[in-house]
Amino acid sequence: MSADLYTRLATLASSLVLLSGIAILWRHSLQAYIASFARQSLLFVMAILIVAVGEKDPRLYGMALMVFALKVVFIPRVLRRVQRHVGAEMEIHPYVNTPVSLALAGVLTLLAYAVAQPVVALSEAPTRGGIPLALAVVFVGLLILVSRRSALTQIVGFLVLENGIALLAVLVTSGVPLIVELGVFLDVLLGFLVMQVFVSRIRETFDTIDVDRLRGLRH
Amino acid sequence: MVSFLVEPLQVALTLLLAPGLVGLVRLLKARLQGRRGAPVRQPYRELVKLFGKERVVSRNASWIFHATPFVVLGTTLVVALLVPLLAAPLPLDGVGDLVVVAYLLLLGTFFLALAGLDPGSAFGGMGASREMTIAALAEPTLALAIFALAVGAGSTNLGRIVARTLSDPVETLGPGHVMAFAALAIVMIAECGRLPVDNPATHLELTMIHEAMLLEYSGPHLALLEWAGHMKFFLFLALISNLAFPWGVAVRPGPVALAIAVLALAVKVVLLAVGLAFLETQVAKLRLFRVPELLAVSFLLALLAVTTSFLVR
Repeated sequence: MSADLYTRLATLASSLVLLSGIAILWRHSLQAYIASFARQSLLFVMAILIVAVGEKDPRLYGMALMVFALKVVFIPRVLRRVQRHVGAEMEIHPYVNTPVSLALAGVLTLLAYAVAQPVVALSEAPTRGGIPLALAVVFVGLLILVSRRSALTQIVGFLVLENGIALLAVLVTSGVPLIVELGVFLDVLLGFLVMQVFVSRIRETFDTIDVDRLRGLRH
Repeated sequence: MVSFLVEPLQVALTLLLAPGLVGLVRLLKARLQGRRGAPVRQPYRELVKLFGKERVVSRNASWIFHATPFVVLGTTLVVALLVPLLAAPLPLDGVGDLVVVAYLLLLGTFFLALAGLDPGSAFGGMGASREMTIAALAEPTLALAIFALAVGAGSTNLGRIVARTLSDPVETLGPGHVMAFAALAIVMIAECGRLPVDNPATHLELTMIHEAMLLEYSGPHLALLEWAGHMKFFLFLALISNLAFPWGVAVRPGPVALAIAVLALAVKVVLLAVGLAFLETQVAKLRLFRVPELLAVSFLLALLAVTTSFLVR
């Protein structure tokens, strides 16, 4: 694989990861959110594989396999089960409507380019073109987290944010040591499991997973 | 000498093949939906039939109503001269670039909307207002996507952009390039009134956009407008396929190279048409109020295309 092609493919994969994150802002049903997240994770695995081939680093293949098992197979499956269990189908009335969310995503991407400029200038990595895009994935994940009401969507937002951070790590340093990677993975897995139990609990107590209604707790 | 023959050849191809392409898409869609469908030559028959019919014009119609079919057809034919369908540096390349092409097409849309308003019928006004809403949202996207492509090539000249892609094939895998084309494809769907934005097959009053503006036209005028619509569709598909995959375009026009170019163009456009037929079978028409969301997506794609190709070299 020529150096030029490697750079372009890595950047393309990062931008596709970003686009599948933005797709969540456009869709309305929880099923579509989960499917978009699974697609984004699959594209992330592709990005890892491209970097693995480009850097000739066998550790990254192991990481790709782990990400695939966890984020493409396991987490979407559990999310689908929770979604069936709580029975919520649509994200109705998000705090920010769809066109504004999309415009915000564009602004956040520009912001990511502005913020990442010094990092990109310092970096020698051939994959540096993807750094602002990975940062934009983090921002978009945050936007999903704060602009949607359903607890399940917020979990998806958190997972998108985590995908962005992991992508950033892969692009900047071609993967952190395996032990750190494992630690982060277990962290995400545990956080996710706790959250999905929480969603079921919220549903049982309040009969909805709209987090706006949790204000009642104050009194 | 041969190089100047390219231009009339392009116009002739556009005039003759465009209705066939529309017929092909209709036939493919019918087959995919389990119907037998009309033969590919059906749009030609419709045009012949319309040219033989009487012309009925509202008493309230002004000169705009009479001029519009010729303005729309004229702008489309000029676009057929400027778009590199067969050869990359066209003899008339200096006359207009991508910006001129985009705004010539929009000029046709503008006159069509005026003509929809002109006779004062309720449907025409509704169609015109919807068409303008969509055009106003699609235009910035188009401009941005053009800008993204132009930044890559260092020129807005269509021939230069095609030549640059031919000389640097890896460039087509860059994110800027890919996203600019995704944005252009959505704009094409919106501008040509295809599903999910507008359904070209119905005259249902709740949903129609393009047909509502043509409702007052009859006879030869309607035939001209239909023909121009077919040509616009053909030109958009050809433009997108030649900007994305320019291989086959004649760099040095000779008889053999031109024959190859015609074949390559036919293959590319038919492939795109097949893809479009599949897409149109899969998706339902969007509610009118969700169309701006779709166009916001395409605007975002174009914006990302510009930032990735402009900020990262």
